[in-house]
Amino acid sequence: MGMSSSSTCYVYPASPATPGIVVADVTYNLGIDMQIPLTMDNGTVINMWGFGNDTGGMVNGTFPSPPMRINAGTIVHTVLNVQGMMWNHTIHHHGIEPADHADGVGHITWDVDGIYTYQWRPVHPGTYFYHCHTNTVLHAEMGMYGAIIVDPPEGPGTLISANGVNPAVTYDVEAFWVVDEIDSSWHTLPWNAGTCGTDVGLNNLNPDYFVITGVDGTGTSAMNLAPISATVRLGQKLLARYICAGYHPQHIDFGGLIGTVYSSDGRNLPNPIQVTSLDAVSAERYDVIFAPTQIGEYIITCKIKDWITQEVLGTIRTNVIVTA
Amino acid sequence: MERRNFLQLTMSSIFARATVGAFGLTTLAPRAYAAVIDKTFYITEGFITQITGENVYFMGYSSSSLELNIPGESFIVQEGDTVNITIVNTLQTSHSFVIDGQVDSGVIAGGTTKNISFIATNSGSYMYYDKLNSPYNRLCGLHGGMAIMPRNSANELYPGSPTFVLQKFWIFNDIDPIWNSMVQNGLTPTTPFIPRYFTLNGLGGRPPGAPGNADPTLDNMHDPRSALHGHIGDRTLIRVMNAGMAQQAVHTHANHMEWLSKNGQIRPDIWKKDIIPLDGNGGQIDVIYPFETPPDAWPPVTTGVYPMHLHTEMSQTAGGGFYLFGSMTDIYFE
Repeated sequence: MGMSSSSTCYVYPASPATPGIVVADVTYNLGIDMQIPLTMDNGTVINMWGFGNDTGGMVNGTFPSPPMRINAGTIVHTVLNVQGMMWNHTIHHHGIEPADHADGVGHITWDVDGIYTYQWRPVHPGTYFYHCHTNTVLHAEMGMYGAIIVDPPEGPGTLISANGVNPAVTYDVEAFWVVDEIDSSWHTLPWNAGTCGTDVGLNNLNPDYFVITGVDGTGTSAMNLAPISATVRLGQKLLARYICAGYHPQHIDFGGLIGTVYSSDGRNLPNPIQVTSLDAVSAERYDVIFAPTQIGEYIITCKIKDWITQEVLGTIRTNVIVTA
Repeated sequence: MERRNFLQLTMSSIFARATVGAFGLTTLAPRAYAAVIDKTFYITEGFITQITGENVYFMGYSSSSLELNIPGESFIVQEGDTVNITIVNTLQTSHSFVIDGQVDSGVIAGGTTKNISFIATNSGSYMYYDKLNSPYNRLCGLHGGMAIMPRNSANELYPGSPTFVLQKFWIFNDIDPIWNSMVQNGLTPTTPFIPRYFTLNGLGGRPPGAPGNADPTLDNMHDPRSALHGHIGDRTLIRVMNAGMAQQAVHTHANHMEWLSKNGQIRPDIWKKDIIPLDGNGGQIDVIYPFETPPDAWPPVTTGVYPMHLHTEMSQTAGGGFYLFGSMTDIYFE
C-alpha cells in the first residue's frame, strides 16, 4: 500500500463521556505500559505490553495485567487512561455483555486517546478476562489481558451458590491456568502495525515461547509456584480456572486427576461433566473442581497445537501436590 | 493448458445476485406435504480482487454461467422433499457435488451437465461441496450451505430442538493464494497452507472509513446474509460451517450462544457459550443467538451494535495486516 508500518488507519481516537454514568461500587483505574520485560527460561527477554494500576504517575504494567475480582451485581467502573498522543487502546471485558459503548471494540466504535470509563454490572458468576480490542490481533498477543473473576454473593470460596435442591459448589484452594503462546517476532512491531495494509505477518502466528499465567511454562518455572501450581490436602477441593488465552487450540491434561467442570464461559453447565482432560480454543474458559483422593504429585500439561495442522507447537507444565 | 477467458469480477458484481437470493431464505413456511425442489448450479471460475489489490483465483457453484458465487447460494428444504439439482460444469476440469449423507454426484466431467436427485432425510445443516481433489477444490470456493428442516416445522433445528425465529448460514473460509494458484494451474499444492485472507460468506470486513465500508456486497459486517438483525426475543439459528482448514473460535458479543450441535451430532446438553470451537476442514456447529437483553449493561439497554468475530485473531486480518478485514460480522439489536 506504499505506507510505512508505523502509519495508522481505521483507528478512531476518542474519549467521550460515559452514557448513564452512576456512582460505582468498585473502580479499577488502569493505565498503559508498553515496556514490560518478560524473562524466559533461556534468558531471553521479550517485551510485553499490558495494563497496570494507574496511580496518576508512571504505570507499572504486569503480564498478565492485574486481575479484577468482584461480586455479581456490583456496578464496576473500568477507568482506562491512555496517553493518546502515542497510541490508542481499549478494554473489552470478554464474556461480559454490557452496552455497546461499554464493550470496548475499537475501530468500529472508538479507540481511547485519553480517559474513558467503561461501566458494567456483571450478573453471572464465573471466569472471564479483559483484553485490548484495538488492533486486537497484535495487542492481545502482546499480553494486554487480565483475568476477571465474578464471584457469587458469598464471595471467594464459592463457585456456584446453593440453588433449590442443589447445594453450593465450594472450593478450598484456587489455581489460575492462563495458557498462552508468544511469537517473539511480533514483539518488535509498533502498536498500529499493519493497520494501513502493510504485510507484517499478522496472519501467521509462529510461537516460540509458551507461558502459563505469565510464566515460562516449558520447563520447571511454573512448578510449585502458586497460584499456578496448588497444594491441597486430602478432603480439600481445588478450583482451577483455566483460560485459553492464546490463539492456537490447546489440549490440557490433568495428569491423572479427575476434574468436574461446573461452568464454562461464565455460565453453569446444565449437568456438570467429569473429565481427565479438556480441549479448548481461543478465549474459552473452564472452571474445573478437583477433589483428589490419592496423595501425590500430579503434573498438569497443556499442549498448544497449530490451528491448521494440529501439530503440537509447545507444551507447558505445572503441578498439583496432594498431601495427607 | 488451454483455458477459457476467466471471469474478472469485482466483489460487487459477484455478490449482487447471491445477496438478493439468499436474503429471502431466512424464513420458511412449514409444510405438511413434501415438495419438489429444483435447483441449477453452474460451476464457474474467475479472479476476485482482494483489499490488498491481489487477484486470487476461485471456483464456485454459481447461479448463472456469468457469475462467480462464493459460497454457492444457500438453500433450505424440508424432510421428505424431492430435491432435483442440475450441475452445469462450465470448466474443463472434473468436479462433483456432494452432500454427505444425502447425495454424491460422482465425477462431472469438464464441459458436461449432470442431473442428480435425492429425497431429503435427517433434518439438520449440511455443506454441499466438491469432494474431488479434496480439499483443494472446496477451499477454492466450491462449497455452500443447505438446510433440511424437520417435516412441518419452521422453527426447529431438529424435532423438539429449542426454537428460533430467524435462521442464517455462516460459512467461513481461509484462503492461501498460493494454493489457489496451483489449483488453477492443475497442480497439487506442495507448500504449507498459510492463509492470507479470511472470509465469512465470501466476504472480508471493511471497517468504517475503508473502501467498501457498509456496502453489503463488499463488507461482511453489512452483508444481509451474515449480519444479525433482531429485536429482543428474535432468536436466530445460525448454521456455522468451515470450508477452510483452520480450527476457529466463534465469538459473539452481547449474548452467549446456545450450542445445539457439533459436526452434525446433537449435543447432549445445551451449553451457553461466548466462544464455541469450530473444527477446520469441514467442521460445523449449530447455534442459537437468543437476542436477549445484554445481561451486564448498566443502565439496562435493549438496542446496540456488537460484533461477531473469530477469536483466532489471525483470521481478523487480510494480507498479513489490515486488522478487521477478516472473518466477522455485526449484530444489530434494533
